[in-house]
Amino acid sequence: MANPNLSVAPPPPVAPVPAPRPVALELRDLTTVFPGDDGPITVIDGISLAVRDGGTLAVVGESGSGKSMTFLSALGLVASPGRVQRGEVRIGGAEILGRTPEQLRRLRGAVVSMIFQDPLTALNPVFTIGEQIVEVLRAHSGLGRAAARARAVELLARVQIPDPSRRIDDYPHQLSGGQRQRVLIAMAIALSPKVLIADEPTTALDVTVQAQILDLLADLQAETGMALVLITHDLGLVARYADDVAVMYAGRLVEVGSIEEVFSAPRHPYTRALFRSIPRLDGPVDEELPAIEGQPPNVARLPPGCAFEPRCTLGHGRADCCTKRPLPLAGDRAGHRSACFHADRLDQMEAAR
Amino acid sequence: MDRLTRQLTQLAITVFGIVTVTFFLVRMIPGDPAQYMLGDYATEEALATLRAQLGLDRPVIVQYGLYALRALTGDFGASVVTGRPALEEILSSLPDSALLAFAGLAIAVVIGIPLGIVTAERQGSWSDLLIMVVALFGISFPVFWLGLASVLLFSQELKWFPALGASSGGGFLDQIHHLVLPAGVLGVSVAAYITRLTRSAMLEVLNQDYIRVARAMGVPQRRVVWRLALKNALVPILAIVGVTFAWSLGSAILIEVVFSRPGIGSMILKAVSARDYQLVQAGVLVLAVAVVLVNSLLDLAYGLVDPRLSAR
Repeated sequence: MANPNLSVAPPPPVAPVPAPRPVALELRDLTTVFPGDDGPITVIDGISLAVRDGGTLAVVGESGSGKSMTFLSALGLVASPGRVQRGEVRIGGAEILGRTPEQLRRLRGAVVSMIFQDPLTALNPVFTIGEQIVEVLRAHSGLGRAAARARAVELLARVQIPDPSRRIDDYPHQLSGGQRQRVLIAMAIALSPKVLIADEPTTALDVTVQAQILDLLADLQAETGMALVLITHDLGLVARYADDVAVMYAGRLVEVGSIEEVFSAPRHPYTRALFRSIPRLDGPVDEELPAIEGQPPNVARLPPGCAFEPRCTLGHGRADCCTKRPLPLAGDRAGHRSACFHADRLDQMEAAR
Repeated sequence: MDRLTRQLTQLAITVFGIVTVTFFLVRMIPGDPAQYMLGDYATEEALATLRAQLGLDRPVIVQYGLYALRALTGDFGASVVTGRPALEEILSSLPDSALLAFAGLAIAVVIGIPLGIVTAERQGSWSDLLIMVVALFGISFPVFWLGLASVLLFSQELKWFPALGASSGGGFLDQIHHLVLPAGVLGVSVAAYITRLTRSAMLEVLNQDYIRVARAMGVPQRRVVWRLALKNALVPILAIVGVTFAWSLGSAILIEVVFSRPGIGSMILKAVSARDYQLVQAGVLVLAVAVVLVNSLLDLAYGLVDPRLSAR
């Protein structure tokens, strides 16, 4: 008798559903306050965000909207007298907010790294770039001087600094802006962090260098599987490099979702206004870009309702927008959330104007 | 023009300026050297003869021209009181003053710089506030008052240190014993100033982006402050030390008087009351050159600290 098993055809191969990658960095309800004349001023208000291993989250918003402050708060870097009032910060699932300053220091630069906006001021002018990379390496590892220096040369080569064994003894003023940002990236990836936070990494650089730096970051990410948080106000970069996007306004999140969803159907009037103010290559040369009317908000004196209401072309003056506290980012659709009372009706409202 | 030549040219111009200014300044002191030397009852005739001998009867501008010409050959005239060359007199008392000034400055640097760093690091804390208030007192009280008060306390009451003199002929330990109180008073007074300025230099550096970056990279606070920030603050701190060197020389003069120590200070003071023009001029010149020299050396040191300055 034939083995019945043999008569059974093997099951057709099922396309494997990739398990979602683990969350690298998660913020929950993170809130930071500064003391003000009339009680504490909330500079970031209940921020909840997550970025997965290997994923890229873009955080966009005007200057002063709290993009950088959110991540400085998460890393225990808020300058006194500001302080984190409540919330959770998880790295690889482990809560870190309650940790001691020394424990946080060990995480910074090693597990979560940051690069900053202006490479011209971010490097210490009186130390060679080698000394500065070695300083970071030795802050987190027991590497000896010679070994740390050898590793620094490798890192400079990795970020494509030409002739690294000679350039390592250069001072920052001997390098171009793009090269300095590369050096800062070398410092940031020196200890193979899980998360790299890039705070407007290319704003101070010229356009051709911008693309090189971002491509370098994308390469490094593909190679190491680190999560990337890209803080920017350049929506062009967001579209090209990010998986998810979080839009901030006046210290609050107003919209969160995947790039596809947010770009194809933005569900907050502020996001829509941001998109309208991007210049188009195919637009008329003398086209005047619509700016968002009104003043950027002062977080010390936000209106009682939605923070965007005074400048919102759709909600301005509406009773609910003026009086009710802004919605928390309640789920409207999976993975795409908005803090607008009228998220579902924005198209009709725009058409009706 | 290379660095050294530029420094030397600068030095020469400065010295020329100092010679000129002191020459006219000294002649603005009321009183007549001839009158002083011969006393109130001298006859007009005797006074005129002496003035002619000293060259004081010529127009001031001619006196200046002659003085400047002789100065070029290193001849600064003779003291009218002792008759010895003025420069020689002054240089012989330079070591006493230099010892006091450097000892005071060393104490000031050793106290002031660390206190400035620590208070900058803890800006706004109680320890910061306390040290800054004390430093403000230190700056506000004139050094001669501090000197007199310390003589009262440490010499009269506690009898720890001698009040007068430098024990110039005594043994090394005895000289140190005599030096402690005046150098300490000078040091504490200058330290107050160095503390405040070091603090503000450090505060400025600690607010720079690169310090924020170092913290974001997890560099320990101790390394951030004492290495990464301090080296940046060193240029302004060195500049402060240069300025305070001039100041401690000036204070050393007052201290020499309070503690009756030998030195350029006490010598210039006596020379002024005797209207000994040549001696005053030589004294001020030596002090000024010392200040300029120390500051030139510091200028060279900046280049060692900050690579951007040595590139220029």
